[in-house]
Amino acid sequence: MKLIDDIRAVRSGHKRPQELAKSLIATGSAVGLLVVLLFPVYWMLTASLSQGVGLMSSDGIFADPSTYNLDAYRYVLIEDSTFREALLNSLVVVFVTVSVSLSVIIPGAYALSRRRFAGRTKILYGYVLFTQVGAGLSIATLIALYALFVNFGLDNSLLVLGLFYAGTAIPFNTWLLKTFMDNIPVSYEEAAMVDGASQWQVIREVILPLSKPGIAVVLVFTFLAGWNEFIIAQTLLQSENYTLSVELYSLATSGRYSTPWTEFAAFAILFATPVALIYFFAQSYVESGLSFGGMEG
Amino acid sequence: MVSLPRNRLPLSAERLRDLPFGSRDIGLFLVLPGLILFSAFMLYPIAFLIYLSLTDATHAGTVIGGDASLVGLQNYVELFTDRLFWNSIGITWLFLAVSLVIKVIVGIGIAMLFTHSHVIGKRYMRAMIIIPMGFPPIFTITIWRGMFSSARFGPLNEMLAMYNGAVTWIAGVVDSAVFFMAVSAPEFLLVDMPVAWLSGRWSTFFAYVTTEVWLAYPFMVIIIVSALQDVPAELHDAAKVDGAGYLYRFIHVTLPAIKGPVMFASILTAATSFQQFLIPWIFNRGGPARQNELILVYGYREAIVNHEYAFASAIMVTAIAFIGVFMWLAVKKGGLAEGVGSE
Repeated sequence: MKLIDDIRAVRSGHKRPQELAKSLIATGSAVGLLVVLLFPVYWMLTASLSQGVGLMSSDGIFADPSTYNLDAYRYVLIEDSTFREALLNSLVVVFVTVSVSLSVIIPGAYALSRRRFAGRTKILYGYVLFTQVGAGLSIATLIALYALFVNFGLDNSLLVLGLFYAGTAIPFNTWLLKTFMDNIPVSYEEAAMVDGASQWQVIREVILPLSKPGIAVVLVFTFLAGWNEFIIAQTLLQSENYTLSVELYSLATSGRYSTPWTEFAAFAILFATPVALIYFFAQSYVESGLSFGGMEG
Repeated sequence: MVSLPRNRLPLSAERLRDLPFGSRDIGLFLVLPGLILFSAFMLYPIAFLIYLSLTDATHAGTVIGGDASLVGLQNYVELFTDRLFWNSIGITWLFLAVSLVIKVIVGIGIAMLFTHSHVIGKRYMRAMIIIPMGFPPIFTITIWRGMFSSARFGPLNEMLAMYNGAVTWIAGVVDSAVFFMAVSAPEFLLVDMPVAWLSGRWSTFFAYVTTEVWLAYPFMVIIIVSALQDVPAELHDAAKVDGAGYLYRFIHVTLPAIKGPVMFASILTAATSFQQFLIPWIFNRGGPARQNELILVYGYREAIVNHEYAFASAIMVTAIAFIGVFMWLAVKKGGLAEGVGSE
C-alpha cells in the first residue's frame, strides 16, 4: 500500500507531512469525482434490486440495502415474455449484421491492404471520410430509407435491418482491419510463396491467423452496431419485431408518470451487461480502436 | 488517432509490385461486395434524399408510384423562411458550442487529476472513470431521463431537497447562534421544489448539455490522458528549475503539448453533438413546444410525425451538408488520409 508507506515515511522523517496531505487531498477529490460521475450507473443498479420498495418516494433516492431483492430480474426474465422475445429479435439482427459484415469486410480489407487495382485510392478516400463522423448520417438518411423500404415492402424485417447495420458498419471496420493488415510484414507472405504456397494458402495460413485480433475488434464493433442501435429499429419495426433497445425505450416511456423503474432498471442492466462485459475484457483493443474511430461503434 | 501514426506502415509501391501475385484486378472483386452493400444503404439513400427534397412528397407511400412531382427548390425556399428552422439551427449550434466548451474543460480537468502524481491508485480509477463509455447510448440516456424526472422524488429533485435542507439547517444554526435577531434561510438560496426539469426551455437545454457532456467525457479523457502521458517529464522539470509556477507550466508546457489531440477530439465530439438525436428525442422529443429541436429531431419529426416528407428531406440534406464539412475537417485535421495514397 502506497498510502501506508507514505505514512511510515512521514513518521520516520523521510517525507514532509505536506506531501502526505497533498496525496490525501488529491486522492480524496479523485474518489469524490469518481463517485459523482458514476452516480447514475449506481442509481440504476440499486433501482434494479429494489422491487417492491418505495423507490422515488419519500424514502429517499436509494432503498435500504437490507431490502435488496432479485424480484425485478425474475419478473423480466421469467414472468414477462417481452425480454425473451426481444432478445431473440436482437440476436437475429446481430447475427445477420456480424456474419454479413465480416464476410464482406475481411476480403475487402485484405484487397485494400495487399492488392492494387483500379479505383483503390478512390475507394479508400471514400471509406475514410465515413470512418470518423457519421453516426447521424443514418438518421438523416432514415427518412429516405424508410420511404424506400415501405415502397419495396422491406420494412418490419429483421433481416433487412441487420443488413442495413452491416452496410453502415463497412467503411469504419474495413478501414480498421485494413490498417491492421498493413502492419503484418509482407516478408511472411513472401516466405510462404517461396515455400510454394498458393495465393489461397497464403491468405488462409498467413494473413487470416495473423489478423485474428483485428478481426476480433471488428466483430465487437459490428456486434455493438446491431445491439445498440435504437431509432432506426424503432422506425422500421412493428411491435412484434421490437429489439431489446426498442423495448427498453417503450418500457421507459410506457406511463407518463409511472415509469416502472425497478423493472426498467433490471431490463436495462440485462441489456447493457453483455456490452459492458465486452468492453471490460477487450478494453485495450477497443480503446485503440476508439482512439482511432472517435465516438462510433 | 493517437495510437495510429506509430503503427501505420504503408506499403511502398515497390514492395507491392514485388509481391508475386497474379491478376491485379482480382482485388476489385474482393472489395466490391462491401462497396455495393455500403452504397445501397448509405450512398443511394443520400442521393434519393436529395431527389425527395426537390419533390412535393408528403407520405412515405407517395414517394414512389408517381404521386409526387418535382417542384424544384420550393422546399428549400420554404425551409429558409421557416422560423422553426432557424430556431433549430440556432439551438443546435448553441448546444454544440456550450457542450464542447464544458467537455474540453471537464475532460482536461479529469485527465489532469487522474494523472496527478499525488493521486493514489489512479490507474484503477482511470479504468473505472471511462465505464460510461461501455454502455449502450439508449441505456445511459434513458437513465438520465430518469435522473431529470420532474417527480418530487426524482433523483435530482431529491438532491435539491437535500440542498434546501442543508441551507435551512445552516440558517437555523446561525439563528440560534445570533440570538439577538431572527435569521431565516435567504429565499434566493433556496430552490423552488420540485423542479419540472423537462418542461422549461432552458432547464431542458441544461439537461441536454449535462447528459451530452457525461456521454462524451470518457472519450475526451482517454484522448487527453494519452496526450498528457506523451508530454516529456523533462519539460516540466526544466520549467520547475526555472521557477515556473503551476499555472505557468500548465499554459506553457501542458497546453501546447496536448493541443493537437484535444483539437482533433473536439472536432469529432462536436460533430457528434451536431448529430445528437437520442438525447432530445428520448428526453422530451425536442420540447417543450418544439423549442429544443436539434436539427435531426426537427427533420425526423417533420417526416415521421407531421408527414412532410419532401420538406423534411430538405432539412436532412441541409444537415448532411454540415455533417459533410465535419467529415472533411476530421479527415484533414486528423491526417487520416495519409495512409490512403500509397501510390
